[in-house]
Amino acid sequence: MTMTESPPANDTASAVPAPVVAGLYDALTTTDHKSIGRLWLRAGMVLLVGAVVLGVLLGFERVDSESTDLFGGDNAFFQVWALYRLGLALLVAAPLFIGIATVVVPMQVGSTNIAFPRAAHAAVWAFIIGAGITIAAVLANGGWGAVDRVSNEEREAIALSIVGLAMVVLSLLLASICIATTVVSMRVKGMTLLRVPLFAWSMLVATSVWLLTLPVLLANMLIAYVDIHNGPGSFGGDLSGDLGAYAQIAWVVEQPQVYAFAIPVLGVLGSIVPVAAGVRAARHGLSMGLIGVFGLLSVGAWAQPFFQPTNNAVVRYDEKFVFIAFGLAAILPVLGALGGAADSLVRGRGVQGVPPAHLLGALGGGLLLLAGTAAGVARVIEPFELGDRVTVAGVMSLVLFAAVASAIGAIWFWSPKVCGHELSPVAGRGAVMLVVLGGLVVGASQVINGFFETANNPLVAPTEDAGDVLNTVALVGMIVIALGAVGALATLLNAMRTGGAGTADDPWGGQTLEWSTATPPPPGNFAEPPALVTSEAPLLDVSSDEGEES
Amino acid sequence: MTATTTGLPAAEVTRPRTVLVGTMFASAASFMAFLGVVLVYISERAQARTDGAEWFADGAVELGPAGFVFATLILSIFTVQWAVQAINAGDRTNALVALVLSGLFGAAVFNQLWFIINDSGFALSGSNSEFMFFLVLGTFVVFMIAAVGFVTLTFLRAVIGQFGPRKADAVAAAAFYWNTVVAMYAIAWYVIFVTK
Repeated sequence: MTMTESPPANDTASAVPAPVVAGLYDALTTTDHKSIGRLWLRAGMVLLVGAVVLGVLLGFERVDSESTDLFGGDNAFFQVWALYRLGLALLVAAPLFIGIATVVVPMQVGSTNIAFPRAAHAAVWAFIIGAGITIAAVLANGGWGAVDRVSNEEREAIALSIVGLAMVVLSLLLASICIATTVVSMRVKGMTLLRVPLFAWSMLVATSVWLLTLPVLLANMLIAYVDIHNGPGSFGGDLSGDLGAYAQIAWVVEQPQVYAFAIPVLGVLGSIVPVAAGVRAARHGLSMGLIGVFGLLSVGAWAQPFFQPTNNAVVRYDEKFVFIAFGLAAILPVLGALGGAADSLVRGRGVQGVPPAHLLGALGGGLLLLAGTAAGVARVIEPFELGDRVTVAGVMSLVLFAAVASAIGAIWFWSPKVCGHELSPVAGRGAVMLVVLGGLVVGASQVINGFFETANNPLVAPTEDAGDVLNTVALVGMIVIALGAVGALATLLNAMRTGGAGTADDPWGGQTLEWSTATPPPPGNFAEPPALVTSEAPLLDVSSDEGEES
Repeated sequence: MTATTTGLPAAEVTRPRTVLVGTMFASAASFMAFLGVVLVYISERAQARTDGAEWFADGAVELGPAGFVFATLILSIFTVQWAVQAINAGDRTNALVALVLSGLFGAAVFNQLWFIINDSGFALSGSNSEFMFFLVLGTFVVFMIAAVGFVTLTFLRAVIGQFGPRKADAVAAAAFYWNTVVAMYAIAWYVIFVTK
């Protein structure tokens, strides 16, 4: 009699999977891309909640700035305001998409792991430490400048916040290299670049744009940092009343650069909608082209005051033809991508009953991005003179909350691969709807507020009553977003911690290789080598081949 | 139920030139960071000249020593490419000699730059022009240190026999990064020392 028994059949659809999070040891030592991606997602979601809570507090201050002083002075208010803006892009939107991509992209291209897994692991911890330093420095009255004179301790805190943000940017760049290299050089045989799934393609475009533009932000911060310590004080180091380094780095959250953080929104749209509609997306190449064009139009490192001599004889960068042309053209690829999504929905089986959270997130993110680029068009039309007004912040809010809504939709879509099971559809729908609705309210109220001559500088009070009303509307919108963000965070953390009910490997009828893996995916992702890829939707090819054989 | 893809022939997962591709992305990012500093230099200089101010005092920045740095770096391009060619041909001895020479050229560049900086008599907290002079050259030195470190690491791995004709990616990657840093100096040389 043999002492070895055959293992029980592994029916993944009915088994209750164990929690996918294996504790601190795993978090500190893992080189599995899925664990690394989950670290990014947890950090990004926690920071999202932190950012929107700051947004709510800033909103209260702006509504009644004369009698409210939540932050203890103008310097602190300005510094927290700058942290909220930079944080929404660099601590929330980019990390969320990097997290999703770190989990999903290697599986989408048929790879067993991400390129340079140890570097990817180092990147996420550098990000967490850098974000901690940044936030701690701002709490110690640091930031990226000051509006009043500062003490020596505050000067050091300001320098420290530059170091923290530089660490964050370096970690984003390192993670970008890992993701871009995975797409370029670790694709399974048969998957040419033109057959790469749209989300992976959008991440290649996004990370390429980040790799070409965020180093310029690093250069700006290097100059400001050295100037604070030893320089002549002409490059952001003079902290005696101007906005300091923030004036030099604000371009990263203004158009066109802010669009770069929303490039994956188009990839999420192109990946989720055809699956939800149950059809093969038409004109895959055209969709890739639209994402590429949007990426090109989001390169904005050149649109900054550091490259702008201050003398009056020179035309301001935001009055130049290129800036205006970028602003006008950016809406076109977004319209094209939404048109493609509408085409898929019309050709497909349509949406039966209540739309799933991932479809709401994909479409909501796309529509918010459309609103953001439309507001960007208004921003560059010169007769409106919106360049120094809060409309600039409106564009940022619409675009970055589009990214957040889209990322939440993507997390829900790929949750079987991210968390090992499907996340609550009710919680997902609620979170996505609240973020989309709140993002629209915040962004639209800021865009309209600009037409009432309300300044972008938060320390300048609105000149008209309508400005105060719209600030209140923006505050309500921010509270709505906060509710959605807290709901999404609680659901995600709980799901990662406790595991959940068994989920089919491919609950949606997916079209790309990640859906051919088990749920949760095993180490190495694929139990057997993926099939030779012959199109951009390899699982549809398999279904049609099997249909023909039967 | 796992969606099966066995209806089609299995494809092998390939990892062609991963290190080289990653290095290309890192090189592009490094180059943009350097360009970011240089463009601020150009912008400030344009501002000063429009205002009628002097950017550098006559004789403070000389072309001669900077030209020697450039010549050294051009020589180093040949040595790193020699290393790539040798490793591809399976000639480890030549590859090691070429990598050592490249590293030595790098050390010579640090020495020459130290002379240029001392010779200028500039101070970081001096004028905008002096500040930007230090920033551009300092940023270049950071990337040069990274390039020398990359070549040294490649050399050490080559010594223990990790590379050969079928695995020459890392040497090609180190050479690519080195050439990118040389291109950075070419820009700095033209902007600071030629057009002053």
